[in-house]
Amino acid sequence: MASRKALISVTLVAALGIILVLGYLAGRTFRDPARATTVAGMTVLEPASPLPEFRLHDQNNQVFDRARLQGKWSYVFFGYTHCPDICPTTLVVLRDAQKIAGGREQGVQYIFVSVDPDRDNAATLKNYLPYFHPEFIGATGSQGELMRLTRALGAYYETGKTRGGSPATAPGVALPPPSLESYEVHHSAAIFLIDPEARLRALFAGPHDAARLVQGLQRLKGG
Amino acid sequence: MAHHMRFAVAVMLMMTSLLALADNAILVRDAWVREAPPGAPVLAAYFTLENPGSKADKLVAVRSADFAKIEIHATEIRAGVARMIALDALPIPPHAVVKLAPGGHHLMLHRPRRPPAVGMTIKLELRFSSGANLTVAAPVRRAETGAAHHH
Repeated sequence: MASRKALISVTLVAALGIILVLGYLAGRTFRDPARATTVAGMTVLEPASPLPEFRLHDQNNQVFDRARLQGKWSYVFFGYTHCPDICPTTLVVLRDAQKIAGGREQGVQYIFVSVDPDRDNAATLKNYLPYFHPEFIGATGSQGELMRLTRALGAYYETGKTRGGSPATAPGVALPPPSLESYEVHHSAAIFLIDPEARLRALFAGPHDAARLVQGLQRLKGG
Repeated sequence: MAHHMRFAVAVMLMMTSLLALADNAILVRDAWVREAPPGAPVLAAYFTLENPGSKADKLVAVRSADFAKIEIHATEIRAGVARMIALDALPIPPHAVVKLAPGGHHLMLHRPRRPPAVGMTIKLELRFSSGANLTVAAPVRRAETGAAHHH
């Protein structure tokens, strides 16, 4: 009697185990069908990943939200104006890409999102961006809204001191700046490519190359 | 004539001794300062360091009358995240060439005393761990391409 009871419990436990394993495998297959392939520095997401609603403002103090990404392809780069090296370098690459694409690329916009809203605002961006291209869009907003967008893209930023301070540990969390001039911002180096339905379609990890940015988009448009 | 001869010989001797002295000195080439976009309070400077000698050296400090503060930086991209790392010193191994270039090592120039415009030349005073000091003239230039091709 006791041995039969034991047998039943062992069978039940085994069955439960099998169900859990099958469930896990099935869940993995159905929940995570997205594939990412990388060709020539561009990682393409298949299917594209829809972006949530977010609300930033642009350099003209106009609302910059998800609707602004619809109907056009967008190259998006995160940075800040107190950044002497990688940000201007990337913006020059984007300017070159715009030049290479020339008139052929009508529905393309180039967006610089500042993840340093304590020092960058609409006026700062309006002053800064035309140096690279008069049509570049600058956007920034509250930490919460920036986080919403960066998280959806898988982008990262962190504000803190690189030396002598304790950097923030959680993504997107800003430490009180030690002084407005001395802190640096760590940020994703990637350029994100958003499709005209406001979905993340691809990203370029860098180091960035203007011709590759243009060819990548052409490849996506070509099917 | 003899006078000129003697002078020439003296100059040549002096040059030879200078060359001998300079055997282990670091060479600095192609220095330039990236023109800052409007409103940007920090700039970057780049150059190439060459150590022709057999002794390791380090760039330990840079000063300029035109900036309140200058730091030696590395831009590091780790796991897709760009970080600027302030370095205490930049090692220049024996017989090595160390390039400061966009997207990599650079000098970070804080708070210009006058806005550096294209055509201006910035004097940078470089100090090395060997004790040597070098003054370098770095023209302010607009970065024409994203790549580090500057001639």
